[in-house]
Amino acid sequence: MNTSIPTPISEADVHAYVDGQLAPARSVHVETALAADPALGERVAAMRIQNAALRDALDPVLLEPIPEQLLAAATSPTQRIAATRRWLAPVFAAAATLVIGVAVGWFVRDALIERAGTPTTFARQVAFAHALYAADVNRPVEVWAIDEKRLVAWLTKRLGFQVHAPDLNGVGYALVGGRLVAGNEKPTALFMYENADKQRLSLQVRKQPAGTDETAFRYAVENGVGVFYWIDDICGYAISGNLDRAQLLKIAHVVYGQLAAAESVPPK
Amino acid sequence: MTLTAATDAPALPHPELVAAIPRLRRYARVLTGDASRADDLVQDTLARAWEKRRLWRSGSDLRAWLFTIMHNVHVNQLALARRDAANVSIDADPGNLAWQLPVRANQLDRIELFELIQQIGRLAPEQREVLLLASVEELRYDEIAGVLSIPIGTVMSRLSRGRDKLRRLLAEPSSALRVVK
Repeated sequence: MNTSIPTPISEADVHAYVDGQLAPARSVHVETALAADPALGERVAAMRIQNAALRDALDPVLLEPIPEQLLAAATSPTQRIAATRRWLAPVFAAAATLVIGVAVGWFVRDALIERAGTPTTFARQVAFAHALYAADVNRPVEVWAIDEKRLVAWLTKRLGFQVHAPDLNGVGYALVGGRLVAGNEKPTALFMYENADKQRLSLQVRKQPAGTDETAFRYAVENGVGVFYWIDDICGYAISGNLDRAQLLKIAHVVYGQLAAAESVPPK
Repeated sequence: MTLTAATDAPALPHPELVAAIPRLRRYARVLTGDASRADDLVQDTLARAWEKRRLWRSGSDLRAWLFTIMHNVHVNQLALARRDAANVSIDADPGNLAWQLPVRANQLDRIELFELIQQIGRLAPEQREVLLLASVEELRYDEIAGVLSIPIGTVMSRLSRGRDKLRRLLAEPSSALRVVK
């Protein structure tokens, strides 16, 4: 028996190595190759990081409570809900039925959402408040930016937790001021910003009703107003304005970063 | 009282089926890009599993079997949907994916995750499936080949292309985030 010369490692070997699916004997060859080839080493490291990032991004779904109907479907034979048929039902129905069906569907959905206090309601309220006050040329705010300290102290007191007015000068928006807005249960703080073109955007903050789940960044367009919002711990945040999604996301990033930094500093 | 004798079909193991739900939901969420449609897909998958319970061999991996059923149900639903695509657009919209996922309390860089999830949505569906089954669900390559009814060589090439594509998408300078950073 001659000592077998290992076949050169293949692309499939590299993937199998990263995914922990390569036979130990073969793994040794890959490790030898990694030691000799820094570029391959970097590639393997990048693939591992990508795997970890994917799991990090998607694992939270595993922690969500399982809906009742899925538990029921797992424990005994049930009817298929024929989801496809349900989506397609309106297609086969008459146009009038479709309109009524959609209207009723949305009505029911809204009623459910209002009750549940989900972020969708939040986005709608935020867009409404933004449209109302941003359009008010002379009195968009109750307290102007010149009194920023007092404004923040006042809103902090009314909301019951420390609020911050992020500095958006870096992205071309100066603080105009702020106001209190009636929320559905709790008051909402609104900070208005304006750029050199007099374009306005607002940051709204409120305490979430108990039982609302955290969300990632979500984006919605309500009546032409773009809203980026997220729920963090007990607070809901929303950035809104007549900007496109990329611009809003950029600003949301700045706001999120500043709020995260502010939270890590203990209140004085 | 032998009511159970009336149903001669063997039962599926409930605890294992229930234990599989979170993973089925996660995969369905990525397939459909929509939380409620994903749960519909999971429900249909479970119902189909009960219909086909005689085909499940006790002792074999229930999870891989369920992923196979889900894949088939999803493909059939997409085919039905496409038939009517002229009337109504109900194709999956993975571009929405980022807004369909929850975030753990202490995830630090959620914006990077947001970007990542958005880019998963931009992968070709067949690359996305393989990548998720391998990287996230950690199925063996031969199991993935079985789930998707494709040869293992195809699994490997899709995996390779999917990984490269995702890496390139994330490195794109067009991302709004990189402008800020």
